[in-house]
Amino acid sequence: MFLRQREPLSFERSVPGKRGMDLPKLDVPAAQDTRPAHLRRTGFDALPELSEVEVIRHFTRLSKWNYGVDDGMYPLGSCTMKHNPRLNEKVAGMPGFTDSHPMAPDALVQGNLETLYTLQEWLKEITGLPGVTLQPSAGAAGELTGVMLIRAYHVSKGAKRRVILIPDSGHGTNPATAAMAGYEVVELPSGPDGTISFEDVTDPVNGKVRKGLKTLVTELGSEIAGAMITNPNTIGVFEYRFKEISDLLHSVDALVYMDGANMNALVGVARPGDFGVDVMHLNLHKTMSTPHGGGGPGAGPVCCGANLMPFLPVPVVVRDTVKVGEGEVPRHSYRMDWDRPQSIGKVHTYYGNFGILVRALTYCLSHGSDGLKAATLRAIVNANYIRTRLKGAYALHIDSPTLHEVVFSDSNQAKHDVHTLDIAKRLIDHGYHPPTIYFPMIVPGALMIEPTESESKEELDAFCDAMLTIAKEAEENPDLLHQAPTLAPLRRLDETTAARKPVLRWTKA
Amino acid sequence: MRYLPSSPSEDRALLDTIGVPDAEALLAGIPAAARLKRELDLPTHGAEQEVAWQMMGLANKNMRFCAQFLGAGAYDHFVPSAIDAMISRQEWFTAYTPYQPEISQGTLQHIFEYQTLICDLTGLEVTNASLYDGGTACVEAALMAVRVAKKRNTVLISRGLHPMYREVLKTNFAPHDDLKLVEVGLKDGVTDLADLQAKLSSDVAAVMVGYPNFLGAVEDLAALAEPIHAAGALLVSVTQEAFAFGWFEAPGKVGADMACGEAMSLGNKPNFGGPFLGFLAVKDAHKREIPGRVVGQAKDLNGQTGYVLTLTAREQHIRRDKATSNICSNQGLVALRANIFMHLAGPEGLKGLAAQNAAKAQYLRQRLLELPDMEAVLDAPFFNEFVLRYTGDYAALQEACLKESLLPGLDLGRFYPETRAASSGAPRSSTPAR
Repeated sequence: MFLRQREPLSFERSVPGKRGMDLPKLDVPAAQDTRPAHLRRTGFDALPELSEVEVIRHFTRLSKWNYGVDDGMYPLGSCTMKHNPRLNEKVAGMPGFTDSHPMAPDALVQGNLETLYTLQEWLKEITGLPGVTLQPSAGAAGELTGVMLIRAYHVSKGAKRRVILIPDSGHGTNPATAAMAGYEVVELPSGPDGTISFEDVTDPVNGKVRKGLKTLVTELGSEIAGAMITNPNTIGVFEYRFKEISDLLHSVDALVYMDGANMNALVGVARPGDFGVDVMHLNLHKTMSTPHGGGGPGAGPVCCGANLMPFLPVPVVVRDTVKVGEGEVPRHSYRMDWDRPQSIGKVHTYYGNFGILVRALTYCLSHGSDGLKAATLRAIVNANYIRTRLKGAYALHIDSPTLHEVVFSDSNQAKHDVHTLDIAKRLIDHGYHPPTIYFPMIVPGALMIEPTESESKEELDAFCDAMLTIAKEAEENPDLLHQAPTLAPLRRLDETTAARKPVLRWTKA
Repeated sequence: MRYLPSSPSEDRALLDTIGVPDAEALLAGIPAAARLKRELDLPTHGAEQEVAWQMMGLANKNMRFCAQFLGAGAYDHFVPSAIDAMISRQEWFTAYTPYQPEISQGTLQHIFEYQTLICDLTGLEVTNASLYDGGTACVEAALMAVRVAKKRNTVLISRGLHPMYREVLKTNFAPHDDLKLVEVGLKDGVTDLADLQAKLSSDVAAVMVGYPNFLGAVEDLAALAEPIHAAGALLVSVTQEAFAFGWFEAPGKVGADMACGEAMSLGNKPNFGGPFLGFLAVKDAHKREIPGRVVGQAKDLNGQTGYVLTLTAREQHIRRDKATSNICSNQGLVALRANIFMHLAGPEGLKGLAAQNAAKAQYLRQRLLELPDMEAVLDAPFFNEFVLRYTGDYAALQEACLKESLLPGLDLGRFYPETRAASSGAPRSSTPAR
């Protein structure tokens, strides 16, 4: 996997006169220079001069310093690192899709519109919610769209509400999103079982009382615009009182946003629209396996109830039935509906990360209703298998069956002065990408493992064996873990100094 | 199901180890009332060839063209073959965000190089690992400008900005009662200096100007910078066609304090508008206010140089509701395409492509003006897009173009009613005719 040789920055290898691109012969007169003198491009300071072979070797060598899903299990909790089918890549690369222009008239892009419409229909059935926008480019963009829908709903009723409730176990994007949408965040405490607490919670250490859901709803009432709740939550447990939470919030006309990051545990098994959710986002790069691409592009479609549909971003893709003669099969045409006076407006320049949406539809068609449900169940079985095998060696935050992921803490290892970071780095020496660490924040030294449905028993066993070996190493030779990773090309980079004296680009010496 | 590594004996072994009779037993934590008591009302799974044919059928329902003259923020430039080949490597496209630097140096070094080149193109000092697209990059730039210019609550946007960027800005400003977004009009196709001066005040945090603007015209940033800086505001240049950086001077060198926009032109296809590549570059003094992921250099335990995600104290997973933005991803793979493109093009390639774009646009404009009913409207220097007025029946002209397999320019009337019957065309860099 790892290439041992160093690959310098490309800029250091640049040699004047080398070319990685030949220009076509110019078949029109050369451009007249109409630019004002001070607006003429002078030069570049960093763009390297390299041949194609050197560029390809550079990026091939760099790639070998990455770990990918095809290398093996990628147990990042909450990230749903599942297999990326190659068909999806091939389909997204079809020239009929890639060459199509976003400003082309609807009649010329019927294939794209049908693709979007069909994906919308799948997401509606999967979530049980009747409204969909595919525009948001990522989960966080979906959250922001969803919260803006909530805001538009209250504004339409003439009410300005100021508060969004967010559990302390939520993703950091939730409070950041609420702030970007102009709201104040009030934290909901988790109870001992990791789910949202209805009652006030007293901190066992400092004795501070944190107000539970009931108190907050009573005190804040119509100040609450809504709540953003991850379900299943970040410890992999279904918020079993979700419907009660939803009813309580609805009693003050506050709406319920569901962060769908963990939807891989629910597809085909439970539908948010059926248990009290008003609006939610899906991470297609998680649930529908569109590739993570080293950090993106993703897609974060938003699904909502009828009460929020008037506010969906423009345009909405709609289907018209073309009139046909009696007894003939009805034909359809598709169009962008821009005429939506209550819409919050546009949230993406065009229609979202279309190429990612194509991959997601391909995923859906490949899996079908049966495959989607089978994937959910297998993801849950895999997480529980890991829970069962590692339980004892690693401390469980909550010892009950989990859904798609399982969260351990480092409390067993801490006795030997071995901590979560050491365990994570040692996993690299054993050939694995580490799990998500130190999240959720409600679990001290959290190790959050999500195997997904893509792992075979053989792969799960190999990973569990590695984790068990590490637990033993922690007891017998903790220094081995403190030194880890020893087999990676680099070892424990100094992030503190990097942030204090940032070097964020190369400059000529 | 071909993607699930499932077999009766292994499934049994997994369940036996867990100690449950079947997978359903593990769903006990979901209340019965919340469970779906039927199968999803969707087709069942499809074989690879079935799905491939179905999706190809959809792709083929789109009209294909010999040449597209529709630019307007999405450009159909030629893409070198090396790009698709490179990004098809699983190490690039299946990997996650590089949170564990020891096992993600490939992605981290690529982003560091990409950041270097975006700074080079824009003439600014700090950028991030990319943003979603041009419109959302404008939002992040505007919100950042308000943070930087404390106690100033107004952002002026030129009417020359891409109309969809303006729409996205409006959507994102709407929730903030304390913030104002005010449009500055156009005169002769560029930002109206008199209108700008009338609207500048001590409340203005930033002024956003297209460079070149949506009509293809170049704005004189240096001239605009004077009154803007005199009023204590920041000048933000917005570029929707990154090839322009090979033709016009880097915005940071002619007065822009921030540069943002869309860089899909660098190695990407139009893709019906996404995934695209938003960028935002700023001055060093403002680096701790930039949103999004940033990569920096670091030393490891052995003193070797490597790369890490840095300045994370700005970000949502640490700062939560006080973060500079909610963004927690970037357009990683699209940024990689752009990075490889810039490496292949080099300085001469980028300047050469830009010069060819300018030449072809000028030639096309001249030839179009030979047609009856076609009139020149603007005199401002342009790059590879321009506006003409067609006094005939544009719908009929569009029809005629489609018959010749040409996608004609945009009817500007929809976005600029004041220019009714004008249209803009954007030739692409490759030879339009087969």
